[in-house]
Amino acid sequence: MAERYELRFSGAGGQGLITAGIILAEAASIVEGKHAVQSQSYGPEARGGASKSEVIIGDGPIDYPKATVVDACLAMTQEAADKYAVGIKDGGILLLDSDFAPNAPEGNFTVYKIPIMRAAKEEIGREIVANVIALGAMIAMTGVVSRESGEKAVLAKVPEAFIDLNKKAYSLGFEKAKEVLEG
Amino acid sequence: MKKLVKGNEAVVIGALVAGCDAYYGYPITPASEIAHAASENFLPLGKVFVQAECEVGAINMVFGAASSGQRVMTASSGPGVSLKMEGISYLAGAQLPCVIVDVQRVGPGLGNIGPEQSDYFQVVKGGGHGDYRAIVLAPASVEETYRMSIEAFDLADKWRSPVFILTDATLGQMMEPIDIREVETHRSEKPWALDAKPHSNDNLVTSIYLDFDDMEEHINGLHAKYAEISEQEAKAEVYGADVPDIVLTGYGITGRMLRSVVDQLNERGIDATLIRPQTLWPFPSRTYQDVVKPGIPVLSVELSCGQFVEDVRLALPGHKVKHYGRVGGNLPELGELVEQAEMLLQEARND
Repeated sequence: MAERYELRFSGAGGQGLITAGIILAEAASIVEGKHAVQSQSYGPEARGGASKSEVIIGDGPIDYPKATVVDACLAMTQEAADKYAVGIKDGGILLLDSDFAPNAPEGNFTVYKIPIMRAAKEEIGREIVANVIALGAMIAMTGVVSRESGEKAVLAKVPEAFIDLNKKAYSLGFEKAKEVLEG
Repeated sequence: MKKLVKGNEAVVIGALVAGCDAYYGYPITPASEIAHAASENFLPLGKVFVQAECEVGAINMVFGAASSGQRVMTASSGPGVSLKMEGISYLAGAQLPCVIVDVQRVGPGLGNIGPEQSDYFQVVKGGGHGDYRAIVLAPASVEETYRMSIEAFDLADKWRSPVFILTDATLGQMMEPIDIREVETHRSEKPWALDAKPHSNDNLVTSIYLDFDDMEEHINGLHAKYAEISEQEAKAEVYGADVPDIVLTGYGITGRMLRSVVDQLNERGIDATLIRPQTLWPFPSRTYQDVVKPGIPVLSVELSCGQFVEDVRLALPGHKVKHYGRVGGNLPELGELVEQAEMLLQEARND
């Protein structure tokens, strides 16, 4: 079977985690020409409570379309962490919002904490871009696509007027990831 | 142009490439993105989009528009497809080309919005009343959903028949890249249509023949056509070893998963082969008879308690075919399927 890399983005419905997953899948498949499958919570599950988006990226065809063992997981709320930070593989990565998901579940993976929502509010001035900060941080931590491919996919997704805002948010994600990786 | 889209959106992109003129539907999870995408794309192109008052209304609008020679479609999920069944029988009886998409969810009843493949009997074996068949295409990826959506319109025109695209909640909701390009479609002349041109004055589109002999002739005519379709249109993907120790089979999303199982078994030194029907009616029985040699165990996997497996067994009379299914919205895990295959192989060796 071809190599595959699995990521899960989770948080509260409406936080933009489904969009973050779609952007990552676009960066991998459209920008970099890899194989990618994205799936997500749908129906009422996607409109409140905890929601998730999964992306599988591979060099070859992805025949099994759902997550099997997750290489990297993001949880933006404690509810999402409790519900979706499961099935992470040994040596994998879990990124938590340090304010809203303070408690990491047990497991043999590395836990990183970044105040993602706070950074969006205080350093960018818009909570709405928290998902783009999180996406930047996840790409920085995993290297699953290049920084440039990720940025290209982010900017292709947003309206003209919000390009600078999202560029800043995406870069901030990289900076925050660097701080915790080196810390 | 490459684009990352949901399976449900791919249906509409394919329909537009095929020159579909009109969409009549009523939303339902997990098929609603088809209506969303149609409403967004059909109207700016001067095409027709109607959100009907209900599924019954939608399928009868399909009947009307198809009668006039337009390329038309509708889409729904289990409960909605049940409601459409009367109209589908009328469409088949009146030999009207149209495309119907069923994004299968969990049933019976309201069930839930998770994936299942339990509409097989309803869609493949009839569902509506009377002695009819409908062509059923079963894609396994978003790209194949797109391509089959184009093909479905050509098949519908060619055979003057309703054509189903049978997907499921997983395939409809997941996103994959597709390569959108102009392709040649074969839009047949429709001299039979009620298109308000002078020649159409003498045309009659109907499923009613009150005279018993006329009716018998009509039904026999339908079945002569079905025999030709069976002869010409059955299709399946075969993947894996040339001389297998075990054959795996499934359609749509489970067929796709079984490719991974074939790979894993092959890595363990077991020669496995997948048969994945791409048409469910006509059923590619001949492929099964060619690939499955006597004594070779067959594992049939589907998201139901055993519907598709009946056609596999009919294709392989006297052969041992084991069914494995998951229901309720659950998908089998990869390891679970590998284990089932290994258990069956062990049983076959002990026999």
